[in-house]
Amino acid sequence: MRISIYRYNPETDQAPYMQDYRLDEVSSETMVLELLTRIKAEQDESLSFRRSCGEGVCGSDGMNINGKNRLACITPVGELGESIEIRPLPGMPVIRDLIVDLSQFYHQYRSVKPYLITHDAEPEIERLQSPQERDRLDGLYECILCACCSTSCPSFWWNPDKFRGPAALLQAARFLEDSRDQGTAERLNELDGPYRLYRCHTIMNCTDVCPKHLNPSEAIGKIKKKMLKHII
Amino acid sequence: MTLRAGGVRPWVLQRLSALYMALFLLLAVPAAWLAEPLDFSTWHAMFTRPWFNVATTLFCLALLGHAWVGGRDILLDYVHPPGLRFALLGLLGLFLLSMLVWLLGILLPLMGGVA
Repeated sequence: MRISIYRYNPETDQAPYMQDYRLDEVSSETMVLELLTRIKAEQDESLSFRRSCGEGVCGSDGMNINGKNRLACITPVGELGESIEIRPLPGMPVIRDLIVDLSQFYHQYRSVKPYLITHDAEPEIERLQSPQERDRLDGLYECILCACCSTSCPSFWWNPDKFRGPAALLQAARFLEDSRDQGTAERLNELDGPYRLYRCHTIMNCTDVCPKHLNPSEAIGKIKKKMLKHII
Repeated sequence: MTLRAGGVRPWVLQRLSALYMALFLLLAVPAAWLAEPLDFSTWHAMFTRPWFNVATTLFCLALLGHAWVGGRDILLDYVHPPGLRFALLGLLGLFLLSMLVWLLGILLPLMGGVA
């Protein structure tokens, strides 16, 4: 099996380049992360990539595999064919090889205040929810912040400093839906303007690539409906 | 209205204008198609009817509003130097405004059967 990997070390390389590796005896169930680990262990210890849990929970190993953003640890080789091309997540500054600088992504995430905003005095007991209210958070809270969605979004490529991006907007939707949150007006006011929310043109790359099968595009649509109700 | 302009309002304008244009085309195209005979005098008569004239004028306004939001979106996405963006937005606005003046110059005199 041939694996072509994006390489760039800013300390020694003038420009990025693709480097080919060959691996034998690879079964179709083998995950791409395992291929990378084998290459690093057996052929080239300078190859750099992020990894942690290895089972699609931590979101560390998001990368562009055969043209689509995926988590290497839960992408079986059998889905990809005989030739595999691995690049870093698109649109982000490359630190080294497959490692990108996600500062911009985390800045946008922090900007939507991904925590409960409450104005009432803190209660003696937990803030309770009915099962129905809790159900409204399904499909919103499961995001692992792997950045596969935001870095596949053309609007985020064009305006990463101004557009919040699908991952951050999914979190905004999660707290707008939360029955315990009291910051609805504050959150919607913050999202108005030409860039933060409305650069989303429903391209839906985010939904296509989400490794947790979430639907940021639908969540953004719900925020836009809430925004409309808010101004009427 | 507590929100500042620039986000939700253009978004609403784009959707409302699209809705109106779709409805207008669904009604006006068959009406024009069915008009017999399909010649200048028949068309002229159609546009002299106040309801059709007003509906067509509203269609033109919706089209230009829709085009403004769409063109503005493209410039916000792709053109980042502020000076160039401002100049292109100005050109787009002037172009659409001249289209509006031209269209109103054609449609409004027909309202009462003049021209």
